[in-house]
Amino acid sequence: MKRTTILAAASALAMVATGAVAQETLKIGALVTMSGAGASWGNGMKRAAELAAEDVNEAGGLEVGDTTYQVEIIAYDDSYKANEAVTAANRLVFEDEVKYIIGTVGSAPILAIQPITEENGVITMTLGFTAQALGADKKYTFRPNPTTAEVAQPQIDWIVRTQDVKTVGALFPKDETGEAIAKDLGSAYEQAGATLAATEFFERDRVDFIPLLTRIIAQGVDAIELDGNSPVTAGQIVQQARDLGFEGVIIRTGGPATQEIVNVAGEAATEGMFVHSAFDPGVASAKAYEERYVETYDEPMNGFSPFFYDGTKMLFQAMQDAGTVEDTEAVATAYENISDYEGILGMMNWTGSERYGIAHQLDSPFYIARVTGGEEEIVARCTSAGCE
Amino acid sequence: MSFLIAQSLINGVILGTLYLLMAIGFTLAFGVMRIVNFAHGEFYMIGAFCALIGVTWLGLPYPVTLALTIVFAILMGAVVERLVFRPFRNDELSGMIASLGLAMILQHGALILFGPDPQAFPAMVTGVFKWGALIVPKSRALALGIGIVILLIFYLFLMHTRHGRALRALVQDQEVAAVFGVRLEIMYPLGLGLGIALAAVAGGLMAPLFGVSPFIGATPLLKAFIVVILGGLGSIPGAALAAILLGLIESFTSSFISASAADIVTFALVIGVLLVRPAGLLGRAEA
Repeated sequence: MKRTTILAAASALAMVATGAVAQETLKIGALVTMSGAGASWGNGMKRAAELAAEDVNEAGGLEVGDTTYQVEIIAYDDSYKANEAVTAANRLVFEDEVKYIIGTVGSAPILAIQPITEENGVITMTLGFTAQALGADKKYTFRPNPTTAEVAQPQIDWIVRTQDVKTVGALFPKDETGEAIAKDLGSAYEQAGATLAATEFFERDRVDFIPLLTRIIAQGVDAIELDGNSPVTAGQIVQQARDLGFEGVIIRTGGPATQEIVNVAGEAATEGMFVHSAFDPGVASAKAYEERYVETYDEPMNGFSPFFYDGTKMLFQAMQDAGTVEDTEAVATAYENISDYEGILGMMNWTGSERYGIAHQLDSPFYIARVTGGEEEIVARCTSAGCE
Repeated sequence: MSFLIAQSLINGVILGTLYLLMAIGFTLAFGVMRIVNFAHGEFYMIGAFCALIGVTWLGLPYPVTLALTIVFAILMGAVVERLVFRPFRNDELSGMIASLGLAMILQHGALILFGPDPQAFPAMVTGVFKWGALIVPKSRALALGIGIVILLIFYLFLMHTRHGRALRALVQDQEVAAVFGVRLEIMYPLGLGLGIALAAVAGGLMAPLFGVSPFIGATPLLKAFIVVILGGLGSIPGAALAAILLGLIESFTSSFISASAADIVTFALVIGVLLVRPAGLLGRAEA
């Protein structure tokens, strides 16, 4: 009995002491792909969260209400697999007790973990390109990066118009992401006046595309589209298409991955390739982020990273606006209500009510770049209305 | 249509030869040591990294790099045999599990050393050979040419040297070979070393085509496994037949039907062969 009393007194003292200092730890999960073909995206996302956390920690912590939080990032690898993502999500939500997750990279993994995260009110920030990731019934899921659905049409219109492309061939991974992108691209090319004439689906771990490319090239396509493939796979497709003597246009409508594609395929094979770019090195804040990233991690920055840096910073702002980190419903509402956010990539706003039934899709400026000497050179500036 | 047939034939032969390099090493290690070496794919990965280090970091010529890779792999095989596999010589199951552990150690070791991102490997040759509409990429022709030369040297070694005969004797019957004076203490490390060297050189040849990362070993291991199951575990002529067959089947089904169909046909064939000939196409049934 006496011991219980002492324990209770000690706990009460501890609570008072904590209240007085009010310095706590805010744990944020990073459930991303850190191994295999999608690792460059996953690392870009995890590091974005780390850099955003570093910003607030160095400034003394994140002040929410009366409490100041030191932000800690807890990272798990899902290897781009739905089953591993579910294991990691269970661990994050029930053992680490996080209320915020940066991830997942893939579409199948986000769909697999949503029953856990939505049920438990855990806010997730996914890269997954599937349209099903967002929905009116998924109020805790947000997507800070534009997907093919947002960027494809204006870019494809521009390329079809300026490069005289009539038939296009494409290879897609045989999963939710690949199927979704193939469908989006097919209708986008049709609307632009061209046809996605030859498509092939393959297992994600495939490295030899020669037989598939032989079939595509035999159909006499004017261009090959790379969207939907991981940076490494896209690089292999470019290299092997050029190996087979393909001289037509190579296009990557979505998913920033130029640096990795050039690394894999080499400068000669990628010369003249048209790529989607979310990143204008002419914007000083974007350039500064890239330099900080390279300096910190000694690796080239993946183009998705800045979106997740902005997304995480916006999430911090939402916590401050809501005055809580515990009540994720209030944080989600505050997150939704942020508008005209000045991010490192430019002006950010939420969109997507029409397409997804919920405005949880970030809208930002984007570009078409031509690869010259292994570097992106911006040739058109785009909004969802079109490219100039 | 005739273009697709001829092109698929060329692609299939190239693919088959590359599978053969992997599979012969795999089946040799099994034949000599009676160990299903699941770390075989990781030696392919190590060979690719050796080539990368030689060519891009040290600036060595590609053929010199490949030769050094072979020497390094033989030595590594001898060390692995002494440290990992020797205690499991007559214990297939434990040896197999030890090889799985070795595979994980090697892959994660590479991950720590080189990171998960693919490394750039410069093209050794560019351009294509053209005969009318037929195209062979020079990069693949180079890999094919070197692969065939290595296979020929290996064949001559196996058929016409004392150590080669000793290895073949070991594959046929270990006890009888030992009775006839085959020195097991030399032949086991040599057999495993040569097997690993073939995987490593396949990695070095494939690096300019498929890139280099710590995760590239899994697919070649699976292909080698399919080839030796089809051909008969421990049978080198069986592996040769099965490798070319697999290359052609993959190439033709991918080009004429789809990539998924290639996987279906391949595995259906493996199941079919196992049902009809459990020891594989040219394998010997266990006594």
